[in-house]
Formats: sequence, structure tokens, C-alpha cells
Amino acid sequence: SHIYKKNHDVTKTWKGKTEQLLRVDDHDFTMRPAFGGPAIPVGVDVQVESLDSISEVDMDFTMTLYLRHYWKDERLSFPSTTNKSMTFDGRLVKKIWVPDVFFVHSKRSFIHDTTTDNIMLRVFPDGHVLYSMRITVTAMCNMDFSHFPLDSQTCSLELESYAYTDEDLMLYWKNGNESLKTDEKISLSQFLIQKFHTTSRLAFYSSTGWYNRLYINFTLRRHIFFFLLQTYFPATLMVMLSWVSFWIDHRAVPARVSLGITTVLTMSTIITGVNASMPRVSYIKAVDIYLWVSFVFVFLSVLEYAAVNYLTTVQERKERKLRERFPCACGITHSKTMMLDGNYSESDANSLAGYTRNQMVSEEEKQEKMVVHLTMSNESNSSRNRGLKGHVGLRIIQNTHAIDKYSRLIFPGTYIFFNLIYWSVFS
Amino acid sequence: GSPIPVGIDVQVESIDSISEVDMDFTMTLYLRHYWKDERLSFHSNENKSMTFDGRLIKKIWVPDVFFVHSKRSFIHDTTVENIMLRVYPDGNVLFSLRITVSAMCFMDFSRFPLDTQNCSLELESYAYNEDDLMLYWKHGNKSLTTDEQISLSQFFIEEFSASSGLAFYSSTGWYNRLFINFALRRHIFFFVLQSYFPAMLMVMLSWVSFWIDRRAVPARVSLGITTVLTMSTIMTGVSASMPQVSYIKAVDVYLWISFLFVFLSVIEYAAVNYLTTIEERKQLKKKGKASGMYSIDAVQAMAFDGCFHDTDVDMDLTPLSDRSEENETQERAASVSNVDTTRIKRKRSLKGNVGKIILQNNHVIDTYSRIIFPSVYIVFNFFYWGLYI
Repeated sequence: SHIYKKNHDVTKTWKGKTEQLLRVDDHDFTMRPAFGGPAIPVGVDVQVESLDSISEVDMDFTMTLYLRHYWKDERLSFPSTTNKSMTFDGRLVKKIWVPDVFFVHSKRSFIHDTTTDNIMLRVFPDGHVLYSMRITVTAMCNMDFSHFPLDSQTCSLELESYAYTDEDLMLYWKNGNESLKTDEKISLSQFLIQKFHTTSRLAFYSSTGWYNRLYINFTLRRHIFFFLLQTYFPATLMVMLSWVSFWIDHRAVPARVSLGITTVLTMSTIITGVNASMPRVSYIKAVDIYLWVSFVFVFLSVLEYAAVNYLTTVQERKERKLRERFPCACGITHSKTMMLDGNYSESDANSLAGYTRNQMVSEEEKQEKMVVHLTMSNESNSSRNRGLKGHVGLRIIQNTHAIDKYSRLIFPGTYIFFNLIYWSVFS
Repeated sequence: GSPIPVGIDVQVESIDSISEVDMDFTMTLYLRHYWKDERLSFHSNENKSMTFDGRLIKKIWVPDVFFVHSKRSFIHDTTVENIMLRVYPDGNVLFSLRITVSAMCFMDFSRFPLDTQNCSLELESYAYNEDDLMLYWKHGNKSLTTDEQISLSQFFIEEFSASSGLAFYSSTGWYNRLFINFALRRHIFFFVLQSYFPAMLMVMLSWVSFWIDRRAVPARVSLGITTVLTMSTIMTGVSASMPQVSYIKAVDVYLWISFLFVFLSVIEYAAVNYLTTIEERKQLKKKGKASGMYSIDAVQAMAFDGCFHDTDVDMDLTPLSDRSEENETQERAASVSNVDTTRIKRKRSLKGNVGKIILQNNHVIDTYSRIIFPSVYIVFNFFYWGLYI
């Protein structure tokens, strides 16, 4: 019947059409086109779909791209009246010759295969072939972190034929510099992609000869905002917090010590946090310089208070020796001041010696007070011959230590100066 | 017939990573084999070779070289299998592959991080022993070449060398084995910045405690205990990225001794505090009448900031109301008795002198510690760095 005939016709017509048309079985496609003759030129075109990730610890980057090859294989030409091309998917690739381009310095790569191999083959009647595939490749990129995080990294992806040297296969960028296109939405969270451009060169292997190599170069500039928020800002705040200690009374020992030591601990934690996500390089990074200098500032504020405390103790000992020689009744209010802050406060008592509830401010008392003052001034007189030390001793009697006064100006001034130098050098 | 000689040539593209925790390394290399197969010879006028890609290898014989002690390895296959076959008219074949291999490397961490590791990649034929296939380095020691840019962030690659040997398997015989040896020296700068320097700073910070007045109890205790805490954090950070080995590493030695120093500074202050308290008690027993006043005010003062006051307070604490001769006498008596006690003590021995010195703000243990701790630490540093570098 005619139905049977129709079926019979259809299967017969469609079954061997591809092979017949392309005469795949007639040729040996393990040999390249124009075998034995001149080198076959293969044009390459790349469209970058995305830059998936840049890893500092592994020093590599992952990119997904559409890689297209253009060449002419006369064995694949077929007669056609309309001059239209034929499109095939990946199953024909096994039967014909395709260039064996690979990515030099790649660590891992794969052709996507969902739902089938993402490969396209388009054959034109004159034998021109367009061969396109979608690949994700992870390639090495040597990164220099000496300016991290204010750095720019230049990475490149390199394409080369594995087997065919310069004499057999010539790889070139099909449209020169416009061969490289990127999706508009290509963007990374941590980097700004400055430019994509293409170059090509020859590479020499001592055992095998000269090969054409194509490069996809791109420059990435790191966004610093995240590191400002995560590292620089906390470090600056810790340093400023350590300056608060200079404004606190030097008699409040636990307060100043714990303020200093806690800021040291926090700086130490910030430093450890930064190094956790970085490779272990053998040179100093820009962020290391900032954090360690800030750490030194915080450390010095602890040492400053140790010096203040020590000098105050030394002075107190001198005063006690002095008082042993001239005992006075100037301790009336001493107990009260001790109750307030529990610290030695002879200086307060001295200055408050005028305060007394008693009417019996006897001559004796006044004399003793004067004696004390006389001894103090005597001491300062005699020490004036000695030098500045005596003046410092006199000043220690006051509530603010001289070292503290100077530190209130010196520490912030030096830190601001350091910041000016740092940001102008690295930005 | 006679064994077929197969020459090997290796170009190392990169050493991707060295993992201490897994004790392995990952290397990407071009592996090239050279042999002669007369079945593949063909007529040619110009003596030029024919180059093929990977699809031809399924049809001809190729040597079955494998990597001994490798954990994972693969031949790159993008865009096609990275394999090259070049056949010369006389039957010589060049067979080249691009491989990434992760191989075991036994590492010794007893000198970590001032250590040098020796690793090697071993090639051997799987099926053919010495009677069938002879594996050799094609150009002797120059068979091993490296890309110029080969570098690791944490290591300095000291030398690459090739060697060969025979390996015996009791079940199967003698096999030729080729070795790719390389030595890696670790850069110490990162560990100096990350571990040694913070540890040193913490030890120095603990010495600050000796210069602070011993009456400031909360200050000295919190200083000591916070430095202990920071040392402990540094030590935990270092061992997080290391395998759990059964011997002590060089960095452990340093960190634990620094920890000991910091710990001792806390213990030192506990001793100072204890001895001061004993001295206080002795003073208390001597005072008698004034003791009542003393304890009240001391308690009140301590309630506010926890600092205790020593005999200094005694002398000044006269009752507010009576500024009389009696009190002054008492004061003088107190001071005299103090002087007397000191004189009496002077007779007894150094202990008395120690007792007198305790009256001052400085404890003798503190004074000695200010010198002993730093100098012992510096001596330890000399020994440590002299021994390991």
C-alpha cells in the first residue's frame, strides 16, 4: 500500500543522508586537511561568558567561554544549490578531523555536557567549518601581592594546538583584536575588569618545535572597599582606642592596663583574620605593613603606661623618704582620698592640705605644712642643679604625667603622618 | 626478542600545590616517550614526520607508563585529549601527553617551618618488566626541563634532578623505575610574620607587668592572663593547618617555650602578691591599736578598686577629731616603732632586709625578674635560631 511505500521511502531517504552527503567514510579523518601540504590556518574566536572566580590561595582563575574554530576542510564540501550550511551537534565530531586546541597552564577544564555535549558543528558547502564549544577552564595566574589589597592582577588564558606545530597548523585570531567579546553582564564582586585584549606569539619546545600560541589577557583591579571595612577601619579604631588611655588618670592602674592589653589582643585577632584567606607568600604585603605598624602603635601605648607607672612609683618612693625625714600632719584628708580611688595620693593630700575641719589650725600645723613645702621646694631647688629630672619630679606631683601630656599629641600626630604617607604611596 | 628501549623526556609545566595535611604534591607535566616501532615505518621522500592527535593511539601500541605512589592523575582533555603522536618514516615514534598528577611525598616536619622537603615522582611501566621494556632518560640529566615561570608562593625550588633505578616486586620481577626528584625549601618570612613575631611581642608585653606597681592587683593579673590567652590563640592558629604528627616541630618548640615564659610571669606575680600579703599580716600583728583603723580603711579602699595599701597608709591614718599630742606621739611612736622594727630586723639576717625592702613599693622578686626574664629569653632565642638555621 502507499503507506508502506511512504514509510519505506522516508527511512531510505533520511538514513544515509549525512554520511552520503559528507562522505565521511570515504576519507581518513585522522589526517589533517591538506596533509603533507602547507599549514592549515585555523581562525579562533572567543566569547567570554563569565569569570567565575579568582582564587588568591590557589593563584588561579576560572572562566567560562564559547570557543569557536574556523577552518576549511575540502573533504567536507558537498554540492548544494542554496548555499546553505548544515548544522550538526557533537556526535559528528568523532568522525571528522578537528583542531586539537588546548589551554596551556590550565589546571582543570571541561566541556559542558548538559543536556548533551555543548558542541556545535556547522559545515558550509565549500568545506568551511565552524566548530564551537562551551568550556569552563581553571588556569594558573601568577599574582603579585606586594600591593595587596590595592593591587591589580594581570592574568591570561593561552590557547595552543597540542600536536601540530607551526608548520602544520597556524592558529590566529579570526578578527584581530575584535575576536574577543564579552557578555555585557560580566562582572566580579571583588574586582573591576579593566580590559580584555588578545595577543599572539610563538612558543618553543625543545623537543617538539615551534607552536602558535594565542593569549587572552585581562587586567583586574581589586575593589578596596571590602578591605577598608574589614581590616583598615577596625585597625584604625583600635589605635584610636589605645589613645584614650592617655586621657585617663594615671592613677587608675587597672583601667589603663586593661585598655592597652585588650587593644593589643584585638589587633592580634585582626592580623590573624587577614592571613587566613591569603597564600603564604614570602614578601610583605601592603595590608601587612598597615596592620603591623598599627600593632606597634598599640604596643607602644602599653609600654608608655608602664613607663608612667614606673616613674610615678619611683617618685613616690622619693617622697616617702622625704616624709620620713619631715613627718607632717598633712594626711588629714588622705584617708578620704584613698577611699575614693584607693591609690596613693599623697599629691592630692599635699595640695588639699589646706582643707581641715578643725579650727585648731595651729601654728605647728602651718609650720609643718610650710616645712613640707619648703622641703619640696628645697628638693626642687637642689634638683634644679641636677637637671630636668627635678622638674619632672615636680610635675609628677600634678595629676597629669608629663609623658601622658606629650603622648596625647605625639601618638595621634605620628599616626596621621603615617597614614598620609601610606595612602599616597599605595594609591 | 630483546627488550624495547623507551626514552622518556619530561617538561614540568607547574607544581600546582604542596599540601602538608595530605602529604602530597600536584604537578602538571608534558610526558614524552620515544621508541621505534618498525611496523609503523612508511615510505617517504622528504623524511618528514607525520603528526597525529589522540585518536590514533587506540590503534597502535604505546608504552603503559604509570606514576608509582600517585593518588590521582588525569590526562587533560580539553578541547580534545591532549595527546600527540608523531611518526617518522623509519618507524621512530614520539608520543607526548599532558598530565596532572597528585603524588605522595613523605614529609618530615621536625624542623617546620625551617625545613626542606625532598619529593619525587616515579615513572614505571605497569605490565612490562626489565626483560620486555627498558625505560631510560632520553638525554640523561638534561631530560628534565622546567618552564621558566615555575614558582611556588611558599617554597623555593632548590633543584630538579632525574635519576633511575630498578624496583623489585616479588610477584612480578624487576622493573625499570625513573625518578624526578626535587627539593623544596620553605620561605620562612610568612611564619616569622604570622607566628614568631606575635609570640615574641606577647612575651615582651608580659614583661611590662614587672614594671607596674605591685599594689595594682587587677592590672597585673589581667595583663598576665590576657597575654596567656593571646599565646594560646597563636598556638591554635598554627596547628590548624598542620597534620597531626607524633613528634614536636620547631615552631612548637618556640611557641611552647614562649608560652612558658608568659605563664611564669603570671606565677611570678602570684608569688609577689602572696609574699606581700604575708608581710602585711606581720605588720598587722605589730600595729595593735591602729590595726582596727587600718583594716576599716583598707577594706573600704579595696572595695573601690581592689588595690591594697601597705604600711604607708598606717602612718597617715590618724583619727580625724583629735589632732593632739597624743596622736602625734603615737604617730611618732609608730614611725619609731617602724624604725625600731627595722633595726631589730637588721640584726636577724637578710630576711629582715627583705622584709624591710618589701615595705617599699618594689618587690625584690620584681626587680630581679626585670632582668632575668628578658635575658633568659634572649639567650633562648640565640640557641633556637643558631640551632635551626
